[in-house]
Amino acid sequence: MISVVAYGLTVGAILYIISIGLSLTFGTMRIVNFAHALIYTMGAYVLFTMLRVTGGNFVLAAIVGVAAAVPLAWAIERFVIRRLYGQSIDYAIIGTYAVLLIGVDATKWIWGATPLPLSDPIGKYVNVLGVDLPVYRLVVIALAVLIFAGLELFFRRTVVGKIVVAGLEDKDAVRSLGIRVDSYFSLVFILGSCLAALGGILYAPITTIHPYMGTHVLLLSFAVVLVGGLGSMRGTLVASFALGMVMAVTGRVWGPAAEAMVFAVMAVVLVLKPIEV
Amino acid sequence: MLLMVNDVDVAYGRAQVLHQISIAVDEGERVFMVGRNGAGKTTLLKTIAGFLAPSHGSIVFAGRPIAGLPAEEVARGGIRYVFQDKRVFTKLTVRENIEIAAHAAKIRLAEAIERVVEIYPKMTRFLDSPAGGLSGGQRQLLLLGRALLGQPRLLLIDEPTEGLSAGAIDEVFDVLEKSKGTVAMVIVEQNLSVVRQLADRVYAVKEGRVCSEYRDMAAIADPSVLEGVL
Ligand SMILES: Nc1ncnc2c1ncn2[C@@H]1O[C@H](COP(=O)(O)OP(=O)(O)O)[C@@H](O)[C@H]1O
Ligand SMILES: [Mg+2]
Repeated sequence: MISVVAYGLTVGAILYIISIGLSLTFGTMRIVNFAHALIYTMGAYVLFTMLRVTGGNFVLAAIVGVAAAVPLAWAIERFVIRRLYGQSIDYAIIGTYAVLLIGVDATKWIWGATPLPLSDPIGKYVNVLGVDLPVYRLVVIALAVLIFAGLELFFRRTVVGKIVVAGLEDKDAVRSLGIRVDSYFSLVFILGSCLAALGGILYAPITTIHPYMGTHVLLLSFAVVLVGGLGSMRGTLVASFALGMVMAVTGRVWGPAAEAMVFAVMAVVLVLKPIEV
Repeated sequence: MLLMVNDVDVAYGRAQVLHQISIAVDEGERVFMVGRNGAGKTTLLKTIAGFLAPSHGSIVFAGRPIAGLPAEEVARGGIRYVFQDKRVFTKLTVRENIEIAAHAAKIRLAEAIERVVEIYPKMTRFLDSPAGGLSGGQRQLLLLGRALLGQPRLLLIDEPTEGLSAGAIDEVFDVLEKSKGTVAMVIVEQNLSVVRQLADRVYAVKEGRVCSEYRDMAAIADPSVLEGVL
């Protein structure tokens, strides 16, 4: 029971870290960004390479992995997404999906298609109510909570954050005050991408690194964003942990149904509360 | 002339909505636009404000061509547009609404709040309430206060008294009245009594064209004069 909860919380934490960027990108730019999955995958691969370069320093390798997302996200925003602003949402889907496909092939070309295993960077266990839990997973959960708190502070306390919140509600009204709101949105895009990379980095030691890891998780992440409400920061947190628990509990009963159940929940939520765009 | 709109055509896709519109606004002048729903008044303000690009014609503000510039650059040049429907940032507090405008205008928050409160003293009571909870009149006053923080040379206001109670109309009226001469305004307004009392000049818009211009307010005091356009 404890291990099911711990697993659910870990998956929830990872889902949150990935999905918040996706949700904010949709909320601000009205763009469904498939390239988010590429950044997630790249984060894990850069981690893998940097672990070798640094002789196993996980924290340093993770920082480099997150930092590597900045130029990549900047380029995707500048050269793909910015050209699709105001166009039909289909173009954004096709454009960013193309980036994802190119990126996946580039990954295979650089690192090969064979899955790469990573060991638990902490390797210690802690006993919670008689069950041994990996400390690493608890760290991941704590990080997700810290990131949530940090984002809340950023969006509620800083003027830049408030401008983004205002822009989420009424972009043109922000522009009419003479604020170049697109550059703030780009900033949010890069921030969200860094979190996607962090998600890939944190999840890598729990599974394996492979070229399609992002594509796979992206679908779950879409489910989170739809259930949590597009552009809703708190909704994304709640939906991530709820769906993480759904996966953990279903997986315990019947493994193959774990992900299917996430989409079943998503379908039910969409039927009960259709999206207003 | 502070603003010159010359022979402007505007279309949404293939549907042309404005036809050869020309208007001019002098420094500090208060100009009203009247016309039926769907006549194209909002479209004209949005075009001046940079939210729509004309397919033909020119717009010159303070000697600089601005047609086709993005809205944020038009705003930075000294124009503020207050949207129809009293669009405040509902999820932020009144104070935060002011904070964003203060940031844009590069003035301190305390000073910004002082200036908004000077325009509308009752705003002190709502500073920490969500702007979404304000009444229509309070929203409009917040929007006017926010827009004036940027010390624009031209203020475009779309239907400021629409849907307001008589008391709220008076409060909005007072703010518009007091700022006479300090900033030029183009105001879309259906309430003819407000128009008659505040206007320096009136343009009547019909089916996307300026159909007449009135300089003499006594002329439009006679209700039959504007009947054909309203
Ligand atoms: N976004 C839009 N797309 C297409 N047509 C529009 C749009 N906005 C307004 N129109 C049309 O343009 C015309 C003028 O509208 P508008 O400028 O809003 O008029 P007014 O403000 O005078 O009521 C109307 O026929 C309206 O249906
Ligand atoms: Mg209108």
